[in-house]
Amino acid sequence: MFDDLVFRLRSLFRRNVVEAELEEELRTHFDREVEKYLRAGLSPAESKRRARLAIGGLEQVKEDCRDARGVSFFETLLQDVRFALRMLRKNPGFTAVAVLTLALGIGANTAIFSVVDTVLLRPLPFRDPDRLVKVIFSYPGLGLRNISFSIPELEDLRSRAKVFDEVSVVWAASVNLTGSRVPQRLELLAVSPNYFTMLGATPQLGRLFDSQDFALGFAPAAVISDGLWRRAFGTDPNVLGRSLQLDNDPYIIVGVLPPGFRHPGKTIAADVEIWATAGFSADPFAKPARNARQMPGAIGRLKAGLGQGEAQARLTSLSEALRNEFPNDYPPVGKWSIEIQSLQESLVGGVRSTLLVLLGAVILIILVASVNIANLLLARASTRYREMAVRSALGASRMRLVRQTLTESVILALIAGLAGVLTARAVLRIILQFVPSNIPRLHEVSVNWSVLGFALLISVLTGLLFGLAPAIQSAKADLVAAFREGTCRAGHSVKVSRLRGVLIVSELALAMVLMVGAGLLLRTFWGLLQQNPGFNPSGVVAASLWLPAPNDPKADTYAKSEQLTPFFREVLRRLRAIPGVELAAFTTSLPATGDLTFNVALNIEDRAVDSSQDLKADLISVTPDYFRVIQSSLVRGRFFAENDEKGQQDVAIIDESTARRYWPGRDPIGRRLKTGRAAAAPWLTVVGVVGDIKHDGLDKDGVPHLYVAAYQRASKILNVVTRTSLPAASLESQIRSAIQSVDPGLPVFNVRSMPEIIGDSLATRRFSAELVAAFAVLALALTSVGIYGLLAYLCGQRSREIGIRMALGAQPGDILRMILKQGAQLAGGGILAGLLFAAVTAPLISALLYGVRPLDPIVFLAVPLVLLAVSLLASYIPARRAMRVDPMIALRHE
Amino acid sequence: MPDDKIDLPQGTLDLLILKTLALGSQHGWAISERIQQVSGEALRIQQGSLYPALHRLQRRGWIKAHWGASENNRRAKYYDLTAAGRRQLETEKDSWQKLTTAVAQVLETA
Repeated sequence: MFDDLVFRLRSLFRRNVVEAELEEELRTHFDREVEKYLRAGLSPAESKRRARLAIGGLEQVKEDCRDARGVSFFETLLQDVRFALRMLRKNPGFTAVAVLTLALGIGANTAIFSVVDTVLLRPLPFRDPDRLVKVIFSYPGLGLRNISFSIPELEDLRSRAKVFDEVSVVWAASVNLTGSRVPQRLELLAVSPNYFTMLGATPQLGRLFDSQDFALGFAPAAVISDGLWRRAFGTDPNVLGRSLQLDNDPYIIVGVLPPGFRHPGKTIAADVEIWATAGFSADPFAKPARNARQMPGAIGRLKAGLGQGEAQARLTSLSEALRNEFPNDYPPVGKWSIEIQSLQESLVGGVRSTLLVLLGAVILIILVASVNIANLLLARASTRYREMAVRSALGASRMRLVRQTLTESVILALIAGLAGVLTARAVLRIILQFVPSNIPRLHEVSVNWSVLGFALLISVLTGLLFGLAPAIQSAKADLVAAFREGTCRAGHSVKVSRLRGVLIVSELALAMVLMVGAGLLLRTFWGLLQQNPGFNPSGVVAASLWLPAPNDPKADTYAKSEQLTPFFREVLRRLRAIPGVELAAFTTSLPATGDLTFNVALNIEDRAVDSSQDLKADLISVTPDYFRVIQSSLVRGRFFAENDEKGQQDVAIIDESTARRYWPGRDPIGRRLKTGRAAAAPWLTVVGVVGDIKHDGLDKDGVPHLYVAAYQRASKILNVVTRTSLPAASLESQIRSAIQSVDPGLPVFNVRSMPEIIGDSLATRRFSAELVAAFAVLALALTSVGIYGLLAYLCGQRSREIGIRMALGAQPGDILRMILKQGAQLAGGGILAGLLFAAVTAPLISALLYGVRPLDPIVFLAVPLVLLAVSLLASYIPARRAMRVDPMIALRHE
Repeated sequence: MPDDKIDLPQGTLDLLILKTLALGSQHGWAISERIQQVSGEALRIQQGSLYPALHRLQRRGWIKAHWGASENNRRAKYYDLTAAGRRQLETEKDSWQKLTTAVAQVLETA
């Protein structure tokens, strides 16, 4: 075994020595043979002749020896590679086009794959990532999912569930950094002290939270992100121990996280910059009680060796036990439940279908590119037909010819792959610029080994794919026909053009799948922009602010309506005073964002509680002019008025679908409802009905909305909206100074126009639609080049026939029609195949569609028409050339 | 020259080469000459089969080659049997005898 390897390797790497030795050995043999005959008395000439006869073909012997040495595989490969490189150098134009097309395809594949790999496939960068889960509390009976939970419930998870090693509260919030020159809004995450140990995080400076930080309310320690450390402290190593004023409370920085650390969950608007830790059971939090559900989220680490199914079963029985133990806190109709979801899934589940569709699209584009190059290679193969025939005549076997042709293709693809990988970084950087930032984990994306492996795989596969057709063709070289004069190539060219036709048809079909996908995504996107969102986004500029919530409620200057209402009125008065601003209002939730709505259970006065399976609504608190600012329509009753304030009748406005659902066929005005089931909660009287507003996002049907008057029921999470003729950029400083002239400690952030906000909310859709559309255009271009190439080739082949036809009286128009017909036939075949293919694949992207069915008739009609038109255009150029064929020249040519 | 050469059955050449080398080192030409002599001119080994066979046997580790001076002081490549080659020779001889006995029996009785 080992001998064998050594022998083979010596033969391979000391090839020249081995060959020279063989040469010498054979010559010695020859000499002795000659001597033998001389001794027998023959003449020298006769001796040499006899010896030569006895020995046979020298080269043949050498070749057989090479085979026997077992190196011919590698040697042949080296030979083929050398030959392939020579062929590629000899056709620089072809090589450049092929390498460029493929390099782009492979680069795009590599880039998209690295995003998919990082976001979907790679485990989260924490300790034992597969044991990390998000805990979700729900009232499935009320249709409420992911509701908040209370301290006793958290304690049950920790002590009774027997499921988790660790559970931590995660509470994303805005916080105002005060005491600095310009007040800033920061992204804060309030967590339990075990949060960092649970994730296995280590600090780059100082320490992270541990049990010494336990406090009933907020502990004074704070951990900051690497980003904030750089931005606000210039990487000052003495930052530890520095004090920060957050919502007027002092905190002390105890640690800095490393650059790669990101909170694995929902945040308000950006990456978390400050982590604070709390026990969540004393001021500013409510006193612990089973139904004091304040905490919005939790993540946990499962016990080692506990499967998710088993963990879920234990949690389900825990929730049943709790419902039985505390019937007053868990109304039977709600069917309160605890669920777990893998943390990775909770983080990236939302973008999975988008990324997979993009991956599918780039794979399609590389298929189209491969087929296109196969076509180019076939065209070239027919010029190399004679070469193949000569090789075949000299004794090359079919396998040998196939191998040589395939080697050429794979070499081509590998060169392209190399170029693709080299450009992948650049392509990735470009793609990342366009990838919407709400796709999680983008900062982790990089070109790594698995990505490079993927690129290599793609290169070899495409090489084999586009090399296969020409390779098989080359093996079919028909010796007799090839060497015969005159009409020698007729038979061959018919076969080649049939194969090329098949390739064009499949190229058209692939392009069509991309075009249908792009069409559906674009129609979804345009449809969303064109639909009536229930408000008029143009001329609206919005800004966000956050009222501080200090840890001591007594220090809170914005605790009660008596303090808030004058603040609102004063800020609105100053905003309206800005030249160019017509109207201004506060709202807790901006339209089309789905942010910060409070999902509440409804209690309707004249409806029995038990039949109220789906009584829920999103609560939005607004000031009187809100509906006028966003120009939504009043269907019945009235908007809020200035005197809908504390001490007056509590009022509410509902939207049309709420009215239809809860008071079908009756007038909702004057009816009463309340949020939650607490007896002390005030009854709200419905005073108006507005048209449905797409509050949760243009692509969400959303739940019913309940609007309440900000002067009666306010929140600290606020946005101002203004109706204005000015752009956001020029208003920003004026809005900021109007607000800060009332309270200089308030940061104002996210000043944007409403169309911008809508654009951001649709960014993922826009990105995927435009990227797929770009791929579709590229596929269409490649396909039309393919059609053009094939028809031009066919016209060249048929020029004699065309000449004869014209000599016999055919008009140029007839010739034009003849060629166009051929183009149309190809297009027809491709469109038919594409229709079938697209009909099968379109439902795969239905998760990304909104308001458009996968088999949308408009798309399925328009795409074939475009494809037909482009195909005919591509056929027209060679057809026109054929039309101008001079019969005399065409005939003389033979 | 009489053209009455016998076609060697597949694998027989390897056996003949191994047997020839069992007597001592030989170079290629001498191997073919010796087989020819011993067989009474009935077996003529073509160069075209001899050298590929030598390469094949080397690859299997049954023979090895070294360069040495020949009887008339010319450089020649000599082949030797290895231990593995010796074992192989025994097995092949054995199976060859079994084969010929069996074939002979069939020919005599049939």
